[in-house]
Amino acid sequence: MDPPTQISHLALDIGGTLVKLVYFSSNGSEEESRNGCCSVVKGRLCFAKFETRKIDDCLEFIRFNILQHSGVQHQNGAVHDYLSVKATGGGAFKFADLFKEKLGILFDKQDEMHSLVGGVNFLLKTVPREAFTYLDGQKEFVEIDHNDLYPYLLVNIGSGVSMIKVDGDGKYERISGTSLGGGTFLGLGKLLTKCKSFDELLELSHHGNNRVIDMLVGDIYGGTDYSKIGLSSTAIASSFGKAISDGKELEDYQPEDVARSLLRMISNNIGQIAYLNALRFGLKRIFFGGFFIRGLEYTMDTISVAVHFWSRGEAKAMFLRHEGFLGALGAFTSYETRSNNDSKPQHHTVQRAILNCSGDDSFRHIPVTSNLNDSETIECSISLV
Amino acid sequence: MAGPGDEHDPSLDDKKEAEAKSQVCVGVGEKDMSPSSSVPGTSPIHRSGSRPQLDLSKAEIQGNLEERDPTILLPNQSDDISHLALDIGGSLIKLLYFSRHEDYSNDDDKRKRTIKERLGITNGNLRSYPVLGGRLHFVKFETNKINECLDFIHSKQLHRRDPYPWSSRTLPLGTGVIKVTGGGAYKFADLFKERLGVSIEKEDEMHCLVSGANFLLKAIRHEAFTHMEGEKEFVQIDPNDLYPYLLVNVGSGVSIIKVDGEGKFERVSGTNVGGGTYWGLGRLLTKCKSFDELLELSQKGDNSAIDMLVGDIYGGMDYSKIGLSASTIASSFGKAISENKELDDYRPEDISLSLLRMISYNIGQISYLNALRFGLKRIFFGGFFIRGHAYTMDTISFAVHFWSKGEMQAMFLRHEGFLGALGAFMSYEKHGLDDLMSHQLVERFPMGAPYTGGNIHGPPLGDLNEKISWMEKFVRRGTEITAPVPMTPSKTTGLGGFEVPSSRGSALRSDASALNVGVLHLVPTLEVFPLLADPKTYEPNTIDLSDQGEREYWLKVLSEHLPDLVDTAVASEGGTEDAKRRGDAFARAFSAHLARLMEEPAAYGKLGLANLLELREECLREFQFVDAYRSIKQRENEASLAVLPDLLEELDSMSEEARLLTLIEGVLAANIFDWGSRACVDLYHKGTIIEIYRMSRNKMQRPWRIDDFDAFKERMLGSGGKQPHRHKRALLFVDNSGADVILGMLPLAREFIRRGTEVVLVANSLPALNDVTAMELPDIVAGAAKHCDILRRAAEMGGLLVDAMVNPGDGSKKDLTSAPLMVVENGCGSPCIDLRQVSSELAAAAKDADLVVLEGMGRALHTNFNAQFKCEALKLAMVKNQRLAEKLIKGNIYDCVCRYEPPSL
Repeated sequence: MDPPTQISHLALDIGGTLVKLVYFSSNGSEEESRNGCCSVVKGRLCFAKFETRKIDDCLEFIRFNILQHSGVQHQNGAVHDYLSVKATGGGAFKFADLFKEKLGILFDKQDEMHSLVGGVNFLLKTVPREAFTYLDGQKEFVEIDHNDLYPYLLVNIGSGVSMIKVDGDGKYERISGTSLGGGTFLGLGKLLTKCKSFDELLELSHHGNNRVIDMLVGDIYGGTDYSKIGLSSTAIASSFGKAISDGKELEDYQPEDVARSLLRMISNNIGQIAYLNALRFGLKRIFFGGFFIRGLEYTMDTISVAVHFWSRGEAKAMFLRHEGFLGALGAFTSYETRSNNDSKPQHHTVQRAILNCSGDDSFRHIPVTSNLNDSETIECSISLV
Repeated sequence: MAGPGDEHDPSLDDKKEAEAKSQVCVGVGEKDMSPSSSVPGTSPIHRSGSRPQLDLSKAEIQGNLEERDPTILLPNQSDDISHLALDIGGSLIKLLYFSRHEDYSNDDDKRKRTIKERLGITNGNLRSYPVLGGRLHFVKFETNKINECLDFIHSKQLHRRDPYPWSSRTLPLGTGVIKVTGGGAYKFADLFKERLGVSIEKEDEMHCLVSGANFLLKAIRHEAFTHMEGEKEFVQIDPNDLYPYLLVNVGSGVSIIKVDGEGKFERVSGTNVGGGTYWGLGRLLTKCKSFDELLELSQKGDNSAIDMLVGDIYGGMDYSKIGLSASTIASSFGKAISENKELDDYRPEDISLSLLRMISYNIGQISYLNALRFGLKRIFFGGFFIRGHAYTMDTISFAVHFWSKGEMQAMFLRHEGFLGALGAFMSYEKHGLDDLMSHQLVERFPMGAPYTGGNIHGPPLGDLNEKISWMEKFVRRGTEITAPVPMTPSKTTGLGGFEVPSSRGSALRSDASALNVGVLHLVPTLEVFPLLADPKTYEPNTIDLSDQGEREYWLKVLSEHLPDLVDTAVASEGGTEDAKRRGDAFARAFSAHLARLMEEPAAYGKLGLANLLELREECLREFQFVDAYRSIKQRENEASLAVLPDLLEELDSMSEEARLLTLIEGVLAANIFDWGSRACVDLYHKGTIIEIYRMSRNKMQRPWRIDDFDAFKERMLGSGGKQPHRHKRALLFVDNSGADVILGMLPLAREFIRRGTEVVLVANSLPALNDVTAMELPDIVAGAAKHCDILRRAAEMGGLLVDAMVNPGDGSKKDLTSAPLMVVENGCGSPCIDLRQVSSELAAAAKDADLVVLEGMGRALHTNFNAQFKCEALKLAMVKNQRLAEKLIKGNIYDCVCRYEPPSL
């Protein structure tokens, strides 16, 4: 069997809930680099995502949008050449056979954590205005000094949550995590509200009021603060705690309120555990990423409040515009320059990236979709060996 | 307002008055008396400091004013002081009340006082015991049955007590105040006012929690335990090295408190994902009706049905690179995302377990991170979410262990449900509780409501009759027998023998690891035996009952001995119908204890054989068998006293050396008279006491299995013509009545006296089996003294012979040549002795002692076999149990131990 052909412009991150894709779409222009040893291709990094349970949509998308343009063709699905593609996430193992069979793609499996960190480091170092804080509805971009980036805490909220202390390029350690993550939000949310999707659930939570179900400090102390220990009357004493005593059934609660309580419970918890871990290692910066956040203001707000509250303002939660694609980006950047003289354009380094904000500075929600147009893209150039 | 429960029943007022009339006598040294306090009608003395004080108003000296330590009557001192404190939570009411010891003995006993004087115990010592002895009772009620709680308080008249018993304030009726913490303090304040006429004083919850935990951790040995993989292990906390620690209270929400000392604490963190979340979400998801039901469900659940595990993401593989196994939960409820299942498609059991794990792990993790932050090694978890639930504790322990990589331990508290109530109780001014040390607390496990660890089934039992009925009802439930309990019908009881209740019964317990919380006896006069070489490392029990084989064996021994014991107990009260009924109830109760311990060795905390034997005695007393062996002891004492003169004559005819050997042989031989030993009971049918004694003594062929006699002899008689110095004072811990003490220990005591050594006979305060008690000894000595001048003079010197008492100070001394023979009580009522808890009398007597003689299986083998003393020690016993003989001395039944140990450095 021939060695598989590599395509350098696709990387996948297959998580428990979502499949994230990063691929390079060239403008068609190719320039010689200054020193002449490689060519620079200008184009865009594109992002797409699919629900993992709808993996077939993802397969179709790759077949028609990427493989066709890449010049790699299969006849009637028959696989002659295998393509090697960087992939990360648990699904890189789980769906390896499926991709091989259906698309002729062999996964070059990348370590999940490594990809995640690689993605974040790439974004923070090369993409301007990538990080921002979000507090009380105010989004504020943070300029990160490339020379003073490390160490930081990376909190990746996928189905579960990983907390990673990053000390440099490729230097990181998973120091903590929690099983209360995006999967918990959607999983419990589905059971409690009959919502079908993450977006639906998030949308619901917008219109809810968590005080209906959460037991607040004021509920316990007769409407007064427990100021002695610094708890305001509106602080949540016990998530879902009111469901204890009311004679109400699940059907008696508004799904909006349930979704809201759930979101606050999980965001708050993640914020707290992240803060405690940052404290432990003396880290001032905490970056939150992963699909749970997906740019949702309320989620970011809750996490920020939690970090602010527990750290008494000492630590700040920061978010990344491309939070959902960290792993995929990391996998993408892991295509390394090698010194063999293969004729195919297979290696790249991203030299420069310009965020294409479509002239709109307001942050948009990124829905789960296979529609390419809705994703943000990064203008960049790739140097080909 | 004259609603139900209103307090204008004249009979109640009479009762109150009657109580007020009964008087407490407290001996106080004359010079310590405040001059004004003896004058009636003067204003109450000033209260100062944190120490409680007695109400000294209208105090007067009783009796002869010429006496050195006249008793002072304090008529305004209520004799049955009770405090009451509550913690009213959302689901449970925890009630704590204090009652005075009924058998509080006053010092109006001339004989006792003479001994005290002889031992140098001044009554001024009382000042260092600000707390009056009493009992702390722990009771639980369901909050939705608050009326049961109110009835209970009313029936016990707890609310009528002055909450500040030592204060001079008198509260007008209907203005009583009780300390309450928990949310219900607000909610039910009106109800308490209306029903009981008392006001509620609300105590800060956090403060109560912390002071409750501090008290427990300092005052109760083996209060804390770890719980890993279903195994409980008790942890000894050094009270001097307690702080700082992290207290995690898991209620509806979770409070994480850093405790730095008494009243010094800070809530450093918390989480809103707590017990309320578990129960709230659980209710919505499973339709369970109660918290317990939800917990129960979780035991049958499989969380992998709903949780997304690492293996689910990695196709069954571990993500071992970062230390995650395939079964680690990656995302709680994460599987519910991708499957097209509805809520109804999931088993409530699985949902409950997933929830429980999610919340427990999260609490464990956040607690760990906070402990880490402050460098705390110890984390104690409490609160209603935990409630002794094994799986919850395991999950939290696992999380702490996992995250800390084994560096930290999650610990739990036996009394955790009562932290708040205890704290509220402590918040009464001048309770003096915080001065108590662990050796001043004795926990007992009576039958009744607290039997199942404070779990509730029906109203608490009021009197003995209710208790007996309860035991009878209990048996009728026909529960399965699972432990070695007696099957043979009792010969004397009339109620159909022993159908034994079992701990499997649903009425007995709801959870496999519920811990029993007993009644806490506060005995401020208990002290650590001062001659222990190292009280910190001292462990009374020789046999480790945490070994399953040992435990099973000894529980079986106790249960086989039970029918005989019941017969004896019933016969000791003339075999009346009442006695039979109580005997049956006792048998049921004790069998239930045994069955429970069989299943849950840690149910009562850390138990050794000593505790087990004491449990039996306590159980007998609980059913009002005050002294089951009374008549047997009397009979044997008389028989032994009758042959004593012959024995003494025989001894006196011997050479010093032969005599010493015969004396030790005699102690060992006489130790065969032991009703606690099955083998010996069988022997008794074979001959008279003296016959058995001589036969036994003749069998005493040296060398004994452990034989340090030569060393002891050398110490006593010297060698190579060198005369050793005599012992100043010997403490003789005696064992059984009859031949054992009279033909064995008394002659040995006499030998010491002859050598000019002061002898203190140390005997039980309360009866246990046929052990001789301190109360009985003076009569026995008097009987022996009739025929022996040495004993008579010594007894007179020691103040044991009241009629012919020689007052050491009065100058009319007759034969001043004798060293005194004294008797002190040891402070316990068990066949064994825990030397960490002895009477203050014994502790005082020990101060001048340079020799301790421990005699008998209970005190020299089962306990204290390995005990090290600051002074010389002689341990004498005959092993009357084959297994113990094999285990301890690699010998056989009836082998003897004569262990002599020089002072331990």
